Amino acid sequence: MANEHALNPTGRPAAADAGPWRNPWTLAALGAAAVLTFWSATGSTPAVVTHLWRWLPVLLRGLLVNIEISVLAMALGTLAGLAIGALSLSPSRALRVGVRWYVQVFRNAPVLVLIYFTTYVFPFELQVSTWVVPFPDWIKVVLGLALPASAIVAEIFRGAIQSIPSAQWEAAQSLAFRRSEIFRLIVLPQCVRRMLPPWMNLYASITMSTSLASLVGVHDVVDTAQIASNTVARTDFTILVYCTLLGLFFAYCYPIARATRALERRHERH
Amino acid sequence: MTDGLLPALVAALKPLGLNYAFALDPGERQAFVRGLGVTLQLCLLTIPGSLLSGVAIAAALTSGRRWLVRPARAFVEVTRNTPTLVQLYCAFLVLNMLITQQLKPLGGTNPLGPFVWVVIVVSLHKGVFHAEALRAGIEAVPRVTLEAARSLGFSQRQLLARVELPLAVRFALPSLVNNLVDLVKMTAVASAIAVGDVTYESIMIWTQRDNVLELLLLILLYFGLLTWLVSLAGRWLERRWRMPGYGQ
Repeated sequence: MANEHALNPTGRPAAADAGPWRNPWTLAALGAAAVLTFWSATGSTPAVVTHLWRWLPVLLRGLLVNIEISVLAMALGTLAGLAIGALSLSPSRALRVGVRWYVQVFRNAPVLVLIYFTTYVFPFELQVSTWVVPFPDWIKVVLGLALPASAIVAEIFRGAIQSIPSAQWEAAQSLAFRRSEIFRLIVLPQCVRRMLPPWMNLYASITMSTSLASLVGVHDVVDTAQIASNTVARTDFTILVYCTLLGLFFAYCYPIARATRALERRHERH
Repeated sequence: MTDGLLPALVAALKPLGLNYAFALDPGERQAFVRGLGVTLQLCLLTIPGSLLSGVAIAAALTSGRRWLVRPARAFVEVTRNTPTLVQLYCAFLVLNMLITQQLKPLGGTNPLGPFVWVVIVVSLHKGVFHAEALRAGIEAVPRVTLEAARSLGFSQRQLLARVELPLAVRFALPSLVNNLVDLVKMTAVASAIAVGDVTYESIMIWTQRDNVLELLLLILLYFGLLTWLVSLAGRWLERRWRMPGYGQ
């Protein structure tokens, strides 16, 4: 909660100023706790909630798969994107055109189509000399998400480098800095700060795209929710489980969005 | 064209390892072309739909009325921070089911199909992003300009229609076009609930023929064409509506 207030982006006095009891989140949590206690004490828990309680660990394990995929895809995409972004600043014209095409193609392709692409085009196992290494679907999804991520990171990186005024390069040169030193000590630190908000935005959007993994047969949280809904086969449970699904993604992505906005606001002032 | 050019093209691509034999089968070719049409229809319906819902949400966000701003803000935050696929499932599997159940005792059938739900969900989803862009555009209109217009005797309505909105739309235009490019890509999600768009029809074909790469290249080309057209239209509008004194 303390974190929540630190990131309060609106700048208006946080609810905490009126004491923790006025905070709507605290109130909601307390209300939920009270209802749960009442239910378990009187043994009148609705069947839907019991079902959800039983399925919740499975759903959370599914969410963990989504998070793993998003973290790996983002790590791969960032590494590749930084390399590609650096190439887009190279003096060679052919290289720049090639990078331009790469970025255009993977930025303008629907993520779902890229996921189908990596899932069906790559083999399901790899032959490395004598060993046969399985190539599971979730890794293919990681690759499918890393492709657009790398293209977008490359654009973010290029934009950040180009946003540094060239006067800084010249000023540093006149102070007898070497080119690599200028890049490392002057340009890069400013770039990192400028890249962070869009990079976090990208992470949130990649995390949301991991839900598409369920369409190519990865057992992620969306797939788990569908299985749960079909297994229990109750109307009210179906409603509840899909709302929970929405809530789980929201609970993971909303704090990232808040932090991004807080960062942007802080950088605006500097 | 079907009897001369197409077989020649298929034969020409064969040595490259690309097997487009499906194009010679009338049934599969028609299915694929139908899929292209459905994707185009989805785009043509969701682009105005998302712009309309974007204007409505932006109006609610900037209305200054608490009872309107709060729900709009909550809707924006939930929509921005949850996957479209899950929203589509919530709409199609939950809302659609509830509507069907409500109509059953009345003897009616649910008039809403998966196609309509995709249009609704994608329109609302991208509408939220349009609304944020428009809100930023409205906030970017300089106060002085509005005060100047007021001092020239513009009424409140004239002020909005003649000064504030035209400027706001111009400020928001680049991000609106960006959102529309995203929207075109997003229509691929329709295949998840068996709307026969180009992705879905291609899946149907490649499960029969095992020609995934060939079809994916076609899909990517098609989406590339559509997004290119959208950004071309955007650039044309930007040039046409260029404000003297802003940009190059």
